[in-house]
Amino acid sequence: MENINRRKFIGKTALAGIGLAGAGALISACKRKPEVKELGLPPILRGAPSGKKLRAGLIGAGARGTGAAINFISSGPDLEIVALADVFQDKIDACRERFASFNLPIPAENCFAGFDAYKKLMALPDVDVVILATPCQFRPEHFLEAVTTNKHVFMEKPVAVDPAGIRSIITSAKKAEAIGLNVVTGTQRRHQEDYIEIYKKVMDGAIGRITSAKAFWNQDHVWFREREPGWNDMEYMIRNWNNFCWLCGDHILDTHVHNIDVINWFLGKHPEKAIGYGGRARRITGDQYDFFSIDFDYGDGVSSHSMCRQIDSCANGTGELIMGTKGYTNCQNKIWDLGGKVIWEFEYPKDENGNSMNQTVIPPYVQEHMHLVYAIRTGNYVNEAEQTAISTLTGIMGRTAAYTGKAVLWDEIFKSDMDLGPKKIEFGPVNMEFPVPVPGTPVISSLTNPIKGQII
Amino acid sequence: MKFNLSQRKTFVGRKTKVWFFILGLLVCVPIFFSGKKVFHITSTDRYCMSCHTHPAADQSWKLSTHYNNKSGTIIHCVECHLPPEGHGYITAKAKHGFKDVYGYYFRDSAAIDWQKKKLLENARGFVYESSCLNCHQNLFPVTLSVNGGNAHLFYTTSKEPLNCINCHLNVGHYDRNTAAHTHDSTFGVTITSTEPPFPEPAKVTKFENFTEMIPGTRVSFDMVALPGGTFNMGSPDNETLRDADEGPVREVTITRFWIAKTEVTWNEYLAFFRATSSQGRTEGQVVTSRKTDAISGATPPWGAPDQGWGKGERPAITMSWHAANVYCQWLSKVTGKKYRLPTEAEWEYACRGGTETPYFFPGSPGKFSKAGFLKRIFGPDTTNIASRVVYNVNSPSKTEEPSFVKSNPFGLKNMSGNVAEFCSDYYSPDFYKADSLRINPKGPFKGQEYVIRGGSFKSDAKDVRSAARDFTKTKAWLVTDPQMPKSIWWYSDCIDVGFRVVCEADSSLEE
Repeated sequence: MENINRRKFIGKTALAGIGLAGAGALISACKRKPEVKELGLPPILRGAPSGKKLRAGLIGAGARGTGAAINFISSGPDLEIVALADVFQDKIDACRERFASFNLPIPAENCFAGFDAYKKLMALPDVDVVILATPCQFRPEHFLEAVTTNKHVFMEKPVAVDPAGIRSIITSAKKAEAIGLNVVTGTQRRHQEDYIEIYKKVMDGAIGRITSAKAFWNQDHVWFREREPGWNDMEYMIRNWNNFCWLCGDHILDTHVHNIDVINWFLGKHPEKAIGYGGRARRITGDQYDFFSIDFDYGDGVSSHSMCRQIDSCANGTGELIMGTKGYTNCQNKIWDLGGKVIWEFEYPKDENGNSMNQTVIPPYVQEHMHLVYAIRTGNYVNEAEQTAISTLTGIMGRTAAYTGKAVLWDEIFKSDMDLGPKKIEFGPVNMEFPVPVPGTPVISSLTNPIKGQII
Repeated sequence: MKFNLSQRKTFVGRKTKVWFFILGLLVCVPIFFSGKKVFHITSTDRYCMSCHTHPAADQSWKLSTHYNNKSGTIIHCVECHLPPEGHGYITAKAKHGFKDVYGYYFRDSAAIDWQKKKLLENARGFVYESSCLNCHQNLFPVTLSVNGGNAHLFYTTSKEPLNCINCHLNVGHYDRNTAAHTHDSTFGVTITSTEPPFPEPAKVTKFENFTEMIPGTRVSFDMVALPGGTFNMGSPDNETLRDADEGPVREVTITRFWIAKTEVTWNEYLAFFRATSSQGRTEGQVVTSRKTDAISGATPPWGAPDQGWGKGERPAITMSWHAANVYCQWLSKVTGKKYRLPTEAEWEYACRGGTETPYFFPGSPGKFSKAGFLKRIFGPDTTNIASRVVYNVNSPSKTEEPSFVKSNPFGLKNMSGNVAEFCSDYYSPDFYKADSLRINPKGPFKGQEYVIRGGSFKSDAKDVRSAARDFTKTKAWLVTDPQMPKSIWWYSDCIDVGFRVVCEADSSLEE
């Protein structure tokens, strides 16, 4: 009940914030589309509003991190990347060079390497925003530190690899909400104009009552790194993080979480139960699967079939499909009736030749940063951490169902003590085995059995 | 005439109305103007304390975090003990006011068991959840710990009713006996005895009473030899206050066995805890060691399992059925005997001690019970029972040492009352009907919850009868355990359950 009060309060301050900002354009935008607010949808902006300069620090300076940092500065005026943190110095150097090439130098004294680099970065008093883009094993502790040091947050999906991490994220999200720190996550479909328009139609009854769904992310194999001489266990695993469950959460989280999140969003809830299969046919390194097929049971007879695969030369494709009593939609841009006729289609902008560009004006990866900056500068509060944590946990539930072969209930996974990875994160040998899970064996819990083995 | 009558009527009516109006003014105006003041005066701490002069009120409040804190904020009596305005404030004030006036004129404050009022189930009646939340609006402050975060997440998502005071019971009135709500990693680790430990367990060659000695410790306890026999298990239809699951009465034959004279004491249980406890292990991991003979015991408890009542000879409490069962395995291993929990039939056989009456002493349940209006005022007749059973009439809301009571005909103490005792059987209300064998019955093959017997210090006279049956309530007894998964070793929300051991008699023993 106090949450509602607080929301009301936040709502009021948000309105006051808009008033003070005097952003006339925004107010009229709100007046034109009041339903956007009612549905909890993010604003579709052409650029973040101007305001006080925002300085951001990037934690996790790899490819996605650098990309997110560029998305951030290109989302509006007076946005800067002022600090970097990464476990590896070479990643920092590459990212710094990239920014230097844009003529946006990042001071060397604000760049930190090592496992505690994030703490040093967040201790900088003039950093307003942090971008969290490390492998998601580290997200919970980074997010907690960000909230403790009063930073607004953009963080990449998925947000954790295990239920202990999920609970930490949700708790930190509530802490952030209590003190008004904005949080936007990298589930960019929720910020994509075409998805948002379809969502509004579906909520308006365009396909009737939802009866089933499917979600799929089937693609070619992803990158991996083989061990190089001189790398200790920890360095090897982190450099090859995309192939170890304790760092990546497996690809059902890493990539497929986007599709899972869309289904949860459209259905307005998370599944109650998961049963599924998975396996490893082609992977070379690490301990993960390369295909999953999960039935997520949302109750009342509604199921979503989730599948994901990372194998070359197969029937590949990514997307969603939601079936209703009156029609169906791909969630992205088309609605069909039950006879298979397109009854509504999103109109993309056209290029100079009059051909559809097949994408929104603002890329969703930038749109999400516009939303964060908009929220900070106008006081229109946003916090997406919990919803992304719920979708991540949905993926963990599916993963556990496939790894164990058992039915996994939401309550069970929400309260599970599963806490993956070594207890102490430091460079050097890692005294753990990373067996590929075999269905029908016990739930992967804390792997504390200290048997020395070769990590491949 | 007609006209006159109606005119008169109108006149009288008007006159009466005027008088009523004046009278109304005379009554209401002072009430209106003083009402606010009266409300205010009767809600001050001074006013509350003018009757609540006992130490449980004033002193403990001033030592609590709601008075004695860093910020200098003082939370007044009515801010917790009445709901905030708009949440039923007036009704609650009237209700408590009426009760207080009654208590003031008809009851002796010194005779009221204030300690008992502090028990969770009682405190719920006069601590308002809406009041807690009225001030504590942010359940996720930035400084909240991981465990606190888990617990508050659980609170906000729980489908079962859960109160703030489930976990934060003593925040308004300090209780030095209750430790902070944290893992107590030092629990039970200090050994007080300076005498040399027993080198080996008791040697038993005959079926007779003996004193078991736990090797490597100074802990010993008495075992009573019970010859086998046949008895009527359950209660007849005409027994006062009986429940249907106690019947039908059936003749049950029991083979001889030893049973502990007393409930397992903290001394005994802590010997096990010290020998097997596994610090740092997460809950739910029952470690199956490569050494098959190694027994892995309890994780450190939350808070103070002994409730601050003291350990020593008091019965050990709050351990789970699983923990009690592992205790028996461990005890068997260190003594080389066959210890286990009693079956329900063995338990009742031992409790009855040859009697067929509701208790193992004369007297009627109706007479001993506190239930009923007159007995609430004048108190029940406790002849015979008060010296033999610790129950809700004679207990200061806590366990007692065995010396507090007399033995039953078999020489056993606290079979009825003090703490409820685990049996090895699963509970089924229909088992008495279903049991056709009637020789050493062991309960149904499958089940969810286990039988507990004997009632406790919290129980009414009804539930300390020899035939009264009850069962474990795992979910409710772990409702505030903030760990996920919850402890398999300690119940967070049950303070009146314990156990006693039995030992199987080898057929090679002499009579």
